[in-house]
Amino acid sequence: MSGRWDWGIPYEYIVTVFRLLSLIMFFLAIMIVNGVASPLLGGQVLNNLVGGLYNTLILRFWYMQPYGVSGPMMNVNEVFTSFMNDFIGILMTLWNQTFTFLYFLCAAVGIALFLQSLVRMDHKFVIGAFISIQLILVIAAFRDVAIPNYEVFPTDFYEFLVSKAQILALVSFAYLESSYQMIYSHSVGKPIEEREETLKKQLLALRMATRKQDRMERGEKVSTTAMSRSSGATAFSFLREAIERKVVGTKDALENMDAVADVRRLQHFVDELLRNDPAAKDELTAKAAAPSESYVIRSAVTGSAIRLMAVVGVSFLLMNPWVFVALLNLPTGIANSVELLQPEFMLLFLVPVVALFPFAAMLIGSIVKREVEIEGNLTKEQKQELKREKREMKQKKKKAEKARRERTHVRRKRRGESEEKDEWDRAIEDVARE
Amino acid sequence: MITQRGFTVLFAGILFLTSGFSFFNFYLILLGVYLIVGLVVTLPLFAVTANLSGIEVDRKIDKTKVFSGDFLRVRVTIRNTSRRNFDFIEVWDQYPETWILAIGENFMASRIEAGSSIAFSYILQARMRGRYYLGPTEVIMRDRLGLHYYKRTVKARTEILVYPTWKDVRRLETIGKQRQLGLMFGSHKTKVVGMGTEFAGFREYVPGDPFKLIDWKTTAKRGEMMVKQYEEEKNVQFICMVDSSGSMGNGYPENTKLEYGIRAAVLLTYMGLERKDLVGVCVFSDVVHNYVPPNTKPDHMYEVLDALAMAEPMGWSDYETAVSHVTSQTRKRSLFFFLTDLEESPGPLLNAMKAVVANGHRAVVISPFGPWFEAPVGQFGPVERVLSEAVSEELWERRVKISRALSRFGIEVVNVGPEDFLPAIIHQYNAAKQRGVALH
Repeated sequence: MSGRWDWGIPYEYIVTVFRLLSLIMFFLAIMIVNGVASPLLGGQVLNNLVGGLYNTLILRFWYMQPYGVSGPMMNVNEVFTSFMNDFIGILMTLWNQTFTFLYFLCAAVGIALFLQSLVRMDHKFVIGAFISIQLILVIAAFRDVAIPNYEVFPTDFYEFLVSKAQILALVSFAYLESSYQMIYSHSVGKPIEEREETLKKQLLALRMATRKQDRMERGEKVSTTAMSRSSGATAFSFLREAIERKVVGTKDALENMDAVADVRRLQHFVDELLRNDPAAKDELTAKAAAPSESYVIRSAVTGSAIRLMAVVGVSFLLMNPWVFVALLNLPTGIANSVELLQPEFMLLFLVPVVALFPFAAMLIGSIVKREVEIEGNLTKEQKQELKREKREMKQKKKKAEKARRERTHVRRKRRGESEEKDEWDRAIEDVARE
Repeated sequence: MITQRGFTVLFAGILFLTSGFSFFNFYLILLGVYLIVGLVVTLPLFAVTANLSGIEVDRKIDKTKVFSGDFLRVRVTIRNTSRRNFDFIEVWDQYPETWILAIGENFMASRIEAGSSIAFSYILQARMRGRYYLGPTEVIMRDRLGLHYYKRTVKARTEILVYPTWKDVRRLETIGKQRQLGLMFGSHKTKVVGMGTEFAGFREYVPGDPFKLIDWKTTAKRGEMMVKQYEEEKNVQFICMVDSSGSMGNGYPENTKLEYGIRAAVLLTYMGLERKDLVGVCVFSDVVHNYVPPNTKPDHMYEVLDALAMAEPMGWSDYETAVSHVTSQTRKRSLFFFLTDLEESPGPLLNAMKAVVANGHRAVVISPFGPWFEAPVGQFGPVERVLSEAVSEELWERRVKISRALSRFGIEVVNVGPEDFLPAIIHQYNAAKQRGVALH
């Protein structure tokens, strides 16, 4: 056990393995025999019996000495205790190692999401990266590892501003803020770029499809290229549908005349549109709607700066109890109590102050009345026309109903009592009689 | 209103706050407070600036009436009439579900400055006839960080009437052109002996014939008085009685009995007008929804299309009311094409047919047989298959009786499925032209 070779090692190895196997067998024996015999003999008697047998047959017979124990073990209970101690030791080591693993896991996830957020510009990646990184500190706080903290929350604003905890929190928050601002800039400008790109692809796919049809009609061989599949057809739902209807790319194409005609007519429609209306392409891409880049950057910087200042200011007021204590004029006993230094105390102000903002927004909203929905722009004539249509339909129904009643009345008079016959035979007879 | 992003920030804030309380850590509490305060701090300001009533949406389309399958460009202009810039605005212009977005996008996201406007357009393919509306338009305004939003629905809608498909007519024209027979391909002139210019033959003179018709050469050869006969072309008057009762709506979408009936009516009207025949159309169910009397004026086709475009399968078939309405307005002898599935009680149907014949008209019933328009039997399980076959047999029995009953009035019933609906009506039209029924 000193780490060097010893001729006793093979023996100890075999003995250890054997002991573990025998322990398992022993457990099984106790479980089974106890279960079967306990109603007759009582569980304790059997336990003693089996334990004695194990001690005599296994431990004494083989004269085994477990790892880490100086003398030989002659009692099964000693074996159990030793085993449990080792097991708990392993679990504790695992428990400690788990946190190290969690630090690395959170860091890895955070970095991966951060990198994703740079490419994809999606808020899910941004907030994911933010939470993952901050979780490292949450776990560290749980493990009592030293992370930025205050013994007592500072009462001086400047002291608060330059404190490590504040700077770290502000940097973290600023990351979130700036990332969201970047996503905004991206989402304002990108749709127009994407729109243009999509339109290009659509028009290209349309032209290729038309050419393909032409070639097929001429009886030429048509091959499907990777380009037409990826950049063209998949980006264009209309054409995709046409392909699903086996218009483009199969020999049976000409059979489906409608779908072929649809693609052709769309091509002609687009060609004519682009020829006759110079602004048509710009409108399809919505080019004119793109905002100026300089404005977006300028407003993002100023907006973020104002928000950060407001957030830091309001947060300081909420977290520092002295301001509110001074305002509320509390009794000296309460004002000097240790409870005021507890972090939970700030909840007393946080909840109502935070709720105040949405309440104010709601009040403003109700004054502005932005939710008033614009009704359909039906002119007076259109409304009258709709009314007239309804009136006419009502009259028609009334008239038809009246005519039906009259006809039925006349027929009943002529026919008299009806008999049990097939409705068609009866109808033929009735009509013939009339 | 808080967005999904806003809720995520709120969740993170509460997480850090509770962690800070649990582990007595001011840094985590501070971070939680920053997040929660950051979420709400600009909310009142956003509420003041986000005055969506300053947004006006204007939609323009090239045409208000299109054929099913035609393309249509929709142009949407968004104006900011307020004095504030809107940082982020999303506009969704809605279009009917059955239509296809062919080119472009019906969505726009951008920033809009005070007093300015942005425009975008997209191309739709109109599918399925009927009256449709473009719109409403959803306008969503978000704050810069996307934490809050306000939404407004601009209900202004643009009405579009979609005519039945024109593809059958196009196909007919294409086939006509391919065979180099021109537009009159397949027509059969209705000729009657009378005052025309085309020579038809000779017959014996009967007292009362004008002397100028006597052909002296033939008279000399035959030894008895013979007169020349000429042919004159006569036009035929048709009336399509399109049944739009609820049962006509059965079948696959776009391929219901009613849709086929309407396509047949369009085709018949087109062919009739091309050959200078008078064609009228009546759309009826339990009331007469529309009646376009026979005519040959240039915009007659559009009147018929208007009437057919609005047809919707509902109610039940009141043949008597429909026939009474049409016959009261049609004095000339006409050929009635009934496009109906004959799934109503027999008495009124026979009475209606009797009224048609009694008024000197002729009639043909082109009747779509329900089971042929529904799901193929092969797609059913064994139980459904047996049931379907039983129902089909019973319906067929009814058909046989209907045919027997109507044949007493000299009215033929043609049972049709989706494949032979249009050929059947063309065949009947040509046959009627050849026979010269319903001449005027």
